[in-house]
Amino acid sequence: MRKEGLLARFGDELAQAWAILVKDVRVYYFTPPMIMMGLLMPFFMFFSFSVRRGMAPQAGVAQLLAMTTFFTASSAGPVIIPLERRTRTYDRLLAAPMSLVTILAGKSLVGAFFGLAVSLVPLVAGLVLFRISIADPLLLLVSVILSAGVFSTLGILFASGSAQSPGQVLMPSTLLRWPLLFISGIFIPLEQMAPWTRAISYLSPLTYAQDLLNHAVLGSGAQSPLLDLVVLPCLMALFLIPALKLHDRSRRLGY
Amino acid sequence: MDNDYAIWASNLTKYYGDLLAVDHIDFGVRRGEIFGFLGPNGAGKTTTVRMLTTLLLPTEGAILINGYDLSRQPYQVKRQFGIVPEESNVYAELSAWDNLIFTGRLYRVPRKERQQRARELLETFGLQEKRGVKVQFFSKGMRRRLTIAMALIHRPAILFLDEPIAGLDAQSARAIKGLVRELNAEGTTIFLTTHQIEVASQLCDRVAIINHGQIAAIDTPERLKRTFQSVQSVEVALDGGELKQQEGLAALPGVTTAVKRGDKMRLYTADPAALFVEVMGYAQSRELRVISLNTLGPSLEDVFLAITGQEVGTVRHESGRRSGRKRGGG
Repeated sequence: MRKEGLLARFGDELAQAWAILVKDVRVYYFTPPMIMMGLLMPFFMFFSFSVRRGMAPQAGVAQLLAMTTFFTASSAGPVIIPLERRTRTYDRLLAAPMSLVTILAGKSLVGAFFGLAVSLVPLVAGLVLFRISIADPLLLLVSVILSAGVFSTLGILFASGSAQSPGQVLMPSTLLRWPLLFISGIFIPLEQMAPWTRAISYLSPLTYAQDLLNHAVLGSGAQSPLLDLVVLPCLMALFLIPALKLHDRSRRLGY
Repeated sequence: MDNDYAIWASNLTKYYGDLLAVDHIDFGVRRGEIFGFLGPNGAGKTTTVRMLTTLLLPTEGAILINGYDLSRQPYQVKRQFGIVPEESNVYAELSAWDNLIFTGRLYRVPRKERQQRARELLETFGLQEKRGVKVQFFSKGMRRRLTIAMALIHRPAILFLDEPIAGLDAQSARAIKGLVRELNAEGTTIFLTTHQIEVASQLCDRVAIINHGQIAAIDTPERLKRTFQSVQSVEVALDGGELKQQEGLAALPGVTTAVKRGDKMRLYTADPAALFVEVMGYAQSRELRVISLNTLGPSLEDVFLAITGQEVGTVRHESGRRSGRKRGGG
């Protein structure tokens, strides 16, 4: 006889989300779209924008951390969910005894872990090659985890339509990610922006992530780190709620 | 609804926008039976099965699975069944073992039990030697067997099988039919969706035929056949008979329609005895030797075609492709 009750259910759902994470890591982390969109693209973008700018290594690491986390974590959903829809393996998850929240939480963890793992590359490179110092290591850990979580849920939201091919999601999502990148404080620091452009930059989740990473790595940012710490989890919820609605809609419409 | 039913659907309805895909259907599947769900393409089969397996929300109606209400107790409902979809939805990048273990984890089968169960299933389905091989290197039949094994990891009371043997070679198809019978003998209720009427006829205790979103008939295969006694036929093979002469059989009195099946002609009639005599006379008058001559009752396929409004006895090739040209009519 199975144990029932809220606590047992919660334990079950956590274990199921973890099972999805472990499976997806094994199945998808080294697929070409993940490597292309999640690994190579942020590094190419960083080098194309940082060359000849004479950037200090510490600031460069903070930027690269934000960009890698952004592109890497937000790529997992658009690659994995359409692929699983096409192969009908997504039906396996939907038919299993767990909630839609658990499925999306598992998928979000996949992106977040991918973002965390890849963000270690610039961090280790900065520490070892450029011997940079981190102003607040604990805040760095928190900021990278939070950023990876937010960007991963953003990827889940991108993938919540009816598309059955990663290309159908990756292309439009990349078109959306670029403006989010440019209006954030990555290339032009928030302090140097005109008031109206600064107002627009607050629409990008990357603005808050970059600011928090600046506090953690450089020891200073354009706004209070508390504001970033409050806004980022709110954004995670803001992305997950419509994603849930869209997934539920697909169960009504049948795709 | 009494307690004998593993699946109970009441007033089940699905609209896709303005399109009515499933039209207020009611049916029940008894515990321990093999229930066939037949219908032509677009009749509402897949939509119904997706609603029964929680993958699609009904527009109206209620579903009870082993007594649990799908709308109010989805977790309990999901533990009651396993699904084998038409497409073998396995993770090609994982091994057979890892696919089974992952599925066991999704269904929260305790660690020791799921490992034991995975070993048993690999053995039962003849995949033990390939347990560590990535599924991308499996044949279609092996993938099919693994998909069924994955659906059984949590010992479900009900198994939904969608076209279980479509596209398989005769040996694999026979093995899977045997496994279905064994599972049923062990007490698993089987809900079988198929286009292959012969498979349903061989396996099912009862069948439902869905057409235009409505249940057109529901009964045992034999009772359905009896309902359609008018769809009787005489099957004849003539030696030395050219196609033209054989087709002349279609014009004999009493023949309603004729179907060419390989080197035989099947002549549909309401009076097989009278037609028997006519065929013998036809052969003698043209000095053709009768190789075989049989009277046949209606097959489940005949019943299916009659119910779904497709003409019984339309002339077609052996492959089953319809030529569109009608024959017979006396």
